[in-house]
Amino acid sequence: MDLSRLPSDYLQLISAFRRQLRFYLRTLRYVGCLGFVLVVGGAVTGVTIAEGSSMGTAAASLASGLGSIATFGIIFCALIGGDAIAMDFGSGTGYFMLVLPVRRAILLLGRYLGAFVVTVSLVLVIYAFAIFATAWFYGLGGIPWADVGASFLLALLFVASVLATAFFFSSFFRSPAMSIVTTILVLFLGLDIADGILVVTGIEPWFSILYAGEVISNAIVPVAHKTVTQVAGLTITTYSPYQWEGAVIMVAYLVVFLFLSIVIYQRKESKG
Amino acid sequence: MSRIEVHELSKYFTASRPALVDASFAYEGSGAIGYLGPNGAGKTTTLKLLTGLLRPTRGSATINGIDVAEDPKHAMADVGAVIETPEPYPSQTVSEAIEMVAEFRTGDLRGSREEIAALHARLELPPFDQRTGRLSKGQRQRVVVAAALVRDPRILLLDEPTNGLDPKERILIRNLLNDLKKDHLILMSSHLMQEVTEICDQVIFINQGQIVLRDTVENIARRFQARAVDAEFATPMPIDRIRGLGPLVQDVVVIGERRFRIMFDGTNSARAEILAGLVKLGPVLSYASASLVLEEAYLSLMQGTGNAHVGASPRSSSDVAG
Repeated sequence: MDLSRLPSDYLQLISAFRRQLRFYLRTLRYVGCLGFVLVVGGAVTGVTIAEGSSMGTAAASLASGLGSIATFGIIFCALIGGDAIAMDFGSGTGYFMLVLPVRRAILLLGRYLGAFVVTVSLVLVIYAFAIFATAWFYGLGGIPWADVGASFLLALLFVASVLATAFFFSSFFRSPAMSIVTTILVLFLGLDIADGILVVTGIEPWFSILYAGEVISNAIVPVAHKTVTQVAGLTITTYSPYQWEGAVIMVAYLVVFLFLSIVIYQRKESKG
Repeated sequence: MSRIEVHELSKYFTASRPALVDASFAYEGSGAIGYLGPNGAGKTTTLKLLTGLLRPTRGSATINGIDVAEDPKHAMADVGAVIETPEPYPSQTVSEAIEMVAEFRTGDLRGSREEIAALHARLELPPFDQRTGRLSKGQRQRVVVAAALVRDPRILLLDEPTNGLDPKERILIRNLLNDLKKDHLILMSSHLMQEVTEICDQVIFINQGQIVLRDTVENIARRFQARAVDAEFATPMPIDRIRGLGPLVQDVVVIGERRFRIMFDGTNSARAEILAGLVKLGPVLSYASASLVLEEAYLSLMQGTGNAHVGASPRSSSDVAG
């Protein structure tokens, strides 16, 4: 074969992305997540409208609707991207894909982009319900679109960083199921527990992606950076990230974990 | 010209148990090379090193002069590989799985429909729109072989390509490989001596991570055929009467009511004396060298009773396969 016929990395990235996107859209995981977010979002929005609980202001209504986005974002990212690398070493997929004339970094980035798009589609549904409920009470003109835009950009960054983290975890496992479960446990429960402990010690959890994710709703309703309260003689210090701070934490997660994922994927061997 | 070369290639999974030790061989042009050895001998390890699925502990594996570990994309540009049990994404249809490979190899799908249709007919693939996750093992294997062949790469690295196939499917793949070897370079591992005999021109025997013999099938046949003959009598013959011919007969195996395989020391004089003895026992219809020469060579080499190492480098380090 003439080597000049071999497509560029860019063309192969587009191919990998398109193929991976189609793969994700067909998975039961995605269909299940989409069904879940539609049913739960629809039910919550329906109850909110039926009860007329407008939250006082349009911003508060939006922030309420988007309050759980970090939690759901982590679950979606873990479910969609938690086996991105493990699938090549725990099943025969790697023997099909890794012998092709494509750089592994390109394959991984194609998978990453595919996972990003489908996860964002789930996040968009949450935004759509939050905007719909707010517009119901305050009209489209009452929605602070600039803040919603800023919040959505931060949500995109959040999804990108959590997916990079999920990809990183997936590089340590051969079993896709184990990889997904571990990603959820570490990102969701592990960091949540760490946050809870730090509340008592007064240390800002600047290392936590879960903490950084708070900026998604804070972009619409700002929260004080530091709050100190006394509960039963115990000093509780809670932090809320600045927008820039949250963005920096997320970019750091994105860069570090995506880089590590690529390095590990390139060096990982099919020993089975 | 297509070229595969491994040079002092070694792979250690643990320090005490090497999977491959200083393997060296080179082939170029066209033809089929059989890679034979027992389970765990290092066949699949070699093929994985040649496809970048493993990284060498030392030494190098190059394809068309490009080191696989250093630049796998360009090294694999002209290679179709079936290693272990590959599985396309289960949600992909048969045509999508093959198209994807075509797209990665050439960047577009021009002519791919016709090409895939031809492969479909040739390999009797399942329907185009069937999901690969719902295929039987044999169907999936044929799809994977089709994917390895799409865009016509000139080098094929095949790890037991007929594994899991039924006899009809095996014949299909065998005939395909016999056609392809005319203008492709094929390195295939197999447990099936008959298959290797029918497809391959050259053979590499590997045992415990070391190449113990490398030669043409013809030369191996000459060496090992000489040590066994098949005799057929016109009437049934008790095996004890053949054994009774004396010390020249080392062993006798029944392969039919009137057919026997007789092992001896391989000399022409012994061969002639045994024939003379058989004729005295009864009318002999045929007397010829045993046909399963590779099996004979394999057993002999793996049991350490043969000419191991004698022919480890019988030819120059670079063999023209075709």
